[in-house]
Amino acid sequence: MKREEIRICVLRIEGTNCEQETFDSFNRLGASPEIVHLKQLTGKSSENRKRDLLDYQMLMIPGGFSSGDYVRAGAIFAARIKSALEDQLRSFVERGSPVLGICNGFQVLVETGLLPGIDEIMSPVPRAVLGTNDSNRFECRPTYLVNENEGRCLFTALLPKKKVVMFPSAHAEGKLMFPSDEEEKIVSLLDDEDMVVFRYTDSIGNYADYPWCPNGSVDGIAGICNSIGNVLGLMPHPERAFFNFLSPEWTRRGGPNEFGDGWAIFESAIQYIEKKW
Amino acid sequence: MSQPLLKRIDAPFEIFQIDLFSATDDQLESLSHELGIALSLDEMKRIREHFEGKGRLPTDVELQSIGQAWSEHCCYKSSKVFLKEFITGIDNRDVLLRGDAGVMRFDDKHAYALRIESHNHPSAVEPYGGAATGIGGIIRDVLCMGAQPIALIDPLFFGPLEIKHENIPVGIKHPKYLFSGVVAGIRDYGNRVGIPTVSGGVWFDDGYVGNCLVNVGCVGIAKIEELKKNSVGGADETLILVGGRTGRDGIHGVTFASAVLTEKSDEESRGAVQLGDPIMKEPLIHAVLEANRDGLISGMKDLGGGGLSCVVGEIALSGGCGAIVDLDKVPLKESGLAPWEIWVSESQERMMLSVKEDDADKVLEIFSLYDVPATKVGHTIQERTVTLIFNGVKVFEMDLEFLTSGPEYCRPCNIDSVSSDIEEAYPEELERYDVEILDMLSSINVCSREWVIRQYDHEVRGGTVIKPLQGLPGHSTHGDAAVLKPVEDSAKGLALSVSSNPYAVAIDPYRGSMMIIDEVCRNLASVGARPHSLTDCLNFGNPEKPEVLGMFREAVRGIGEAAAHLDLPIPSGNVSFYNEAPTGTVLPTPVVLGCGIVEDICRCITSDLKREGSDIYLIGRTQDAMAGTQYFMRNNGRSAKVPEVDLEVLSQSINFLIDNIEKDKILSCHDISEGGIATALCEMAVGGSMGAEIDLSTFDIGLRSDVKLFSESPTRWLVEVEHGTKLEPPAGVELTKIGSVGESSVMIYDGEEILFEQTVAEIECRWSMKLWEIMG
Amino acid sequence: MVVAEVRIELKEGVSDPEGANTQKALELLGFSGIERVRSVKAFEITLSESVGDQKEAVEEMCRRLLANPVIHRYSIEFK
Repeated sequence: MKREEIRICVLRIEGTNCEQETFDSFNRLGASPEIVHLKQLTGKSSENRKRDLLDYQMLMIPGGFSSGDYVRAGAIFAARIKSALEDQLRSFVERGSPVLGICNGFQVLVETGLLPGIDEIMSPVPRAVLGTNDSNRFECRPTYLVNENEGRCLFTALLPKKKVVMFPSAHAEGKLMFPSDEEEKIVSLLDDEDMVVFRYTDSIGNYADYPWCPNGSVDGIAGICNSIGNVLGLMPHPERAFFNFLSPEWTRRGGPNEFGDGWAIFESAIQYIEKKW
Repeated sequence: MSQPLLKRIDAPFEIFQIDLFSATDDQLESLSHELGIALSLDEMKRIREHFEGKGRLPTDVELQSIGQAWSEHCCYKSSKVFLKEFITGIDNRDVLLRGDAGVMRFDDKHAYALRIESHNHPSAVEPYGGAATGIGGIIRDVLCMGAQPIALIDPLFFGPLEIKHENIPVGIKHPKYLFSGVVAGIRDYGNRVGIPTVSGGVWFDDGYVGNCLVNVGCVGIAKIEELKKNSVGGADETLILVGGRTGRDGIHGVTFASAVLTEKSDEESRGAVQLGDPIMKEPLIHAVLEANRDGLISGMKDLGGGGLSCVVGEIALSGGCGAIVDLDKVPLKESGLAPWEIWVSESQERMMLSVKEDDADKVLEIFSLYDVPATKVGHTIQERTVTLIFNGVKVFEMDLEFLTSGPEYCRPCNIDSVSSDIEEAYPEELERYDVEILDMLSSINVCSREWVIRQYDHEVRGGTVIKPLQGLPGHSTHGDAAVLKPVEDSAKGLALSVSSNPYAVAIDPYRGSMMIIDEVCRNLASVGARPHSLTDCLNFGNPEKPEVLGMFREAVRGIGEAAAHLDLPIPSGNVSFYNEAPTGTVLPTPVVLGCGIVEDICRCITSDLKREGSDIYLIGRTQDAMAGTQYFMRNNGRSAKVPEVDLEVLSQSINFLIDNIEKDKILSCHDISEGGIATALCEMAVGGSMGAEIDLSTFDIGLRSDVKLFSESPTRWLVEVEHGTKLEPPAGVELTKIGSVGESSVMIYDGEEILFEQTVAEIECRWSMKLWEIMG
Repeated sequence: MVVAEVRIELKEGVSDPEGANTQKALELLGFSGIERVRSVKAFEITLSESVGDQKEAVEEMCRRLLANPVIHRYSIEFK
């Protein structure tokens, strides 16, 4: 498939607020992203605006505060998606199309049951949660992540294994939790199945607690993928690290105009689609 | 209402005719009070005269409307005369529009909009909601110029955080409560609406115990061809009210803002504090910008102070028209509102669009996609009048020229307010300043603002190139200005910085205000940005007091003269008077937001020290003028000498600095402000996690050591350059090599004498922990 | 009309940063003797009489949106 033919649905509802920079990230790579309101997919818009999820090659759920994150982060967006698009979404994931959720998008993927997605496409009820940060505060800070994935996740194909990257975090509810009686078992299962994608580290790559890990997430996990490897959710923002000049350290390290750490996530997805279809 | 002058009109809803003709002076005054419109006797008489000419009595809706339009907040009646004299005349070809926000040229195709305003009174009563709605309002001011908001800036002023509860008068809230509430309000609204908060400041002083100041600035970016004026396009256009519903919240907000806070303000004013909804605002921004991009909007205006009553008249008249509005059509939060309540309500998240009749339905379709209410409420007419219909009854008919011709006063003003007879007293000189510097670094006005900054999303929109905290991971320090990259396919940057100096202004408002302009310019230059425009928010006490107004005039003169000399237009601004409480008047507090242009963001620099072995230079001359400095305030020093800004030297210095930044000759740069060279050097060291050694005897040999350490005299920077690099300053700019970068300690000598030696780790610990300790 | 009060609380053993930090804040304000602060979220849902099985309807709301079973338990009370 040609790059410019790759259509990416950047989905939004009220309160989604990272759609523009996410759109820009795909656009810079020569793909064809489109910012789409959920109502356009569910038939609740005027005729000329209506869209079909299955016409897109990738679904992107950007960061923000969908519906104000009232009730619970990502919960309302997830409930609205699930009530209208459950079957389509299931087919979309089943056929191998990439789905990426960043920050609020990760929260939405967890609330829909697409993640962790252990041996199932979508669980009927959530099997994880992104809870309030241990600090009980919104945390906007640079965070360092180590690429833990051995190859399952399609979004990290271009990122060397064990490479440490900096994607900034900005969230109040990013603490990944599983049911407490099964937490250890689930984490080791995720590790065994190569579904852990990123863990928080300090700036030189050692696993570390607050403030390096801004939220108290279980085992320092920052991002996970499903069993197929085509659905990734992560709290930190790769689109805010697309160029080096967005890094907090670029005036020390130079190379401002080079691609930054975040580029690899978007480029990996595009290359995957190019090859697969 | 008990007023004998009110006569109910026969209609199926509550409306009164008001008998101004037979009213005595006392009755006029008490009428103004009871209606909550805060107009003076003279103003009431002028209204009576107008209606006598018409040969009919006004309705309550009409009188309420005039009350709004003529409030200090809406018509700047006490300040206009000075603003005209010193500020509004500064012009250059980059000024594109002056409206709800000012608009400046950014490049050939783009413009940026800027505005700052206060939300002081509401925040003093209900800090969380007050601060949040302040953001909502300023975003709409920028949006209605056709610009996408891209940055928020929040300068805040509170009483000392550690003041004892028993020292706070009844009815006043503890500064810690106010501070944490205001920061939470900004955080929860700003983060949700998706506009990064990139700059700001927090100042603490006893003067703000009774009346905190909460200012909020916003900057937006637009294509020049999509810019809009705040005016209708002509007659027969449809007026569409978009956004939130109208309720009783926020009734009399502007008259509340135009009066002094009292002990009872808390209970009485709750109704005047509005509730914001960022999740209405976020799609409102998208819908407005999409409709504007499609060319469907002739003009638009924010519903701020005075609500519909101000917006309809202003948007129509500035397009040379009038309007007829059907008040029944306005979507309400609750039923049973009287027409005057609908007309003056300040419910949040509303804007008025004027569109061609044929385009109205297209606009409604866009808003329906985003689930944002949009309602046709009226249309424009040739004749310059506004008529309101409610339930089929005409309840209001006013000539716009009269309604918007608010009074303009030349109130008595005492400009001899500079107290030059203060007897000078210097603190005792010490051998070592280790304790003083560490204490100053951990003092509330100097310490790290990380506790605040990390709660604000300063990176959403993915364009914050130079961030408010800079330096090595885990060792961040304060930057001087933030830089955004607002246009996708351009390397040009927009730098933002905000500054105030109430301590110097209180001593000498003219010179103190010039110091503020100096600081904001040197902050911009620090990162490599050429200052391009300014906007100001002037927070003062009661203008009916001659000494307050005198202070105000002198501050405006200082700002205006400095800006004019530097060719920096001030295309928008805001005045906030009546910042008084039973505890007294606030410090006179002009706040200036500066915007600068960076030709290539890749040339920008930051304040953290970069390299072992590099040289440290001081740009500028250090003066022995210590009035208003942190050092004097902490050590009971007394002086009336506020340093004078040499504007020519400032221009030359900025050019010199930026030229060298653009040539990649400067590794790091920090302006010298609160706490003097000592603080500036320590902050640079913390960011780079690197030591430095400087010798103060390299410059100004006649000065005392403490003056050299702590002077806050203007137009000075510390810069780090590669060892051996030659810098060639122009004749007027003093440049001194004062030391070098290296080791793990900061050492400050004055010749043979060592004044200060501490490890960077210790400095960082003292500087960065204070707010965390207090606020938890 | 019938009013259902839905109370969403964290399961025992799930950390509660909001509760813990609120306790800290109260102690900073000078209140002593606070054993524990727990955060609880409540919704008041007014249903029209026409809703058939009201209890089931509210249960379904909890399952589909209001609670996340990983950390929450909920209780419903009709007033």
